[in-house]
Amino acid sequence: MGEVIVITSGKGGVGKTTTTANLGTGLALYGKKKVVMVDADIGLRNLDVVMGLENRIVYDLVDVANGMCRMKQALIKDKRFDNLYLMPAAQTKDKTAVTPEQMKKLCDDLKKDYDYILIDSPAGIERGFKNAIAGADKAIIVTTPEVSAVRDADRIVGLLEASGFEEPKLVINRLRPDMVKRGDMMDIDDMIDILAIELLGVVPEDEKIVVSTNRGEPAVADETSRAGKAYRNMVSRILGEDVPLMPMENFEPSFIDKLRMFFGLKVRTR
Amino acid sequence: MKNKILVAVLFGGIGMTNEPVIIKGTKEGITIVVEENSNFEDVKKVIYEKLQNSGNFFAGAKVFVKAKNGNLKEDEFNKLQEILTNFGMSLQEAQSPKTLIFPKPNRSRVLILKKTIRSGQKISYRGTVVILGDANPGSEIVATGDILVLGTLRGMAHAGAAGDTTAIVAAYRLRPTQLRIADVISRPPEDKEESPPFPEVARLKDNIIVIEPYNALK
Ligand SMILES: Nc1ncnc2c1ncn2[C@@H]1O[C@H](COP(=O)(O)OP(=O)(O)O)[C@@H](O)[C@H]1O
Ligand SMILES: [Mg+2]
Repeated sequence: MGEVIVITSGKGGVGKTTTTANLGTGLALYGKKKVVMVDADIGLRNLDVVMGLENRIVYDLVDVANGMCRMKQALIKDKRFDNLYLMPAAQTKDKTAVTPEQMKKLCDDLKKDYDYILIDSPAGIERGFKNAIAGADKAIIVTTPEVSAVRDADRIVGLLEASGFEEPKLVINRLRPDMVKRGDMMDIDDMIDILAIELLGVVPEDEKIVVSTNRGEPAVADETSRAGKAYRNMVSRILGEDVPLMPMENFEPSFIDKLRMFFGLKVRTR
Repeated sequence: MKNKILVAVLFGGIGMTNEPVIIKGTKEGITIVVEENSNFEDVKKVIYEKLQNSGNFFAGAKVFVKAKNGNLKEDEFNKLQEILTNFGMSLQEAQSPKTLIFPKPNRSRVLILKKTIRSGQKISYRGTVVILGDANPGSEIVATGDILVLGTLRGMAHAGAAGDTTAIVAAYRLRPTQLRIADVISRPPEDKEESPPFPEVARLKDNIIVIEPYNALK
């Protein structure tokens, strides 16, 4: 039986789709897991674009939910990576085109055949969000180091807790260590202090994300990308490995130590 | 200003004929006027329905009940009080001669919550609220009694919401976006000086909210 993980945020544009694409690809590529990524952002689909699979869409999630096609017909196999599939969203419909019950059914069906089902959630807390979480077992919340994004993430954590999600995990995206150091950006401690949830990983601001997004090649597969490395670490953590937080050059060691402690790891005395 | 809204909400859609009760928003709070010769069961039902429809909009409001001719029995008033209490409202001592007098709300009721109060979440309670955790920015805690936060208070807190000027807000770390005690509102100063790393208490002194180190309570 697979696991359904929803990737959500509250605020738009913080990196949900980027995170879904990279974690999905990473779990298939490095974890050798059977993975399907579901684009639940109906009407604003772009997971297919980020994955470079746009031109292969025939049927979509709305078609499956409404019984217009079989599940297999809508799933797109990513030929570059074994075991990686995409369920695209419909672009010409809106969030009301499927119900939370239909989403739950879809997830339950996918769970039978896949190890990981990653749901790329739309922004907001309305119907689209409710659809995205309906069939999920776990949640990953993405935020950027901005007060408004963290505020929205906090709102989402509250809503998830109220819906019975036990321990949502946090991804901090687009962190710029130089700015944090100058005191111009919230630091990781500030964010964890407020959100009080466990950190899955921190992704630095990285131009390569923009390049890889435009090319439809997830950065996780690029050994030279720092963001890609952060995603590879997250993949390992999802698979249950203890991977220390990626040392970012500009952070003082005590900070890394704090993070290590946060993960219950021993602080290295090196 | 709030009172204007109250009136609008309450009278919207209410036919003016033969209502057994009239609910009015006034400067002091809300006044419920029970018409002469009305059947108590109807009165109860109408009040309940109106409050039901208004959600917890009135939570923390002071309520005065006036019975024309004083034709309500004491146990009937007790029943009304029960309804009002359930909606987080408190009966007040009334000044009008035709009004029965009720005791002040009981402050010994305590709500203890062991969790983080997050953005968008609101806690309304008739009594004292104790949070074993943080109250985050964008959250609201409204209590007719005191508010005690054993973590960091970063959201809005309104103590003494039914008018109790002796109510306090205390927190392990007091960093609220806004504080209210009774009907006094205060914001932290614009020039964000370093917040002190010790517990603090906010209370009313001469109608101004003052914040002191927790030790000063002793
Ligand atoms: N770590 C990063 N560094 C640089 N750009 C990023 C990073 N993460 C996301 N972006 C860019 O931010 C934009 C929004 O990301 P996206 O994943 O589409 O957000 P969402 O799905 O939450 O709306 C995209 O243009 C993406 O390329
Ligand atoms: Mg997106």
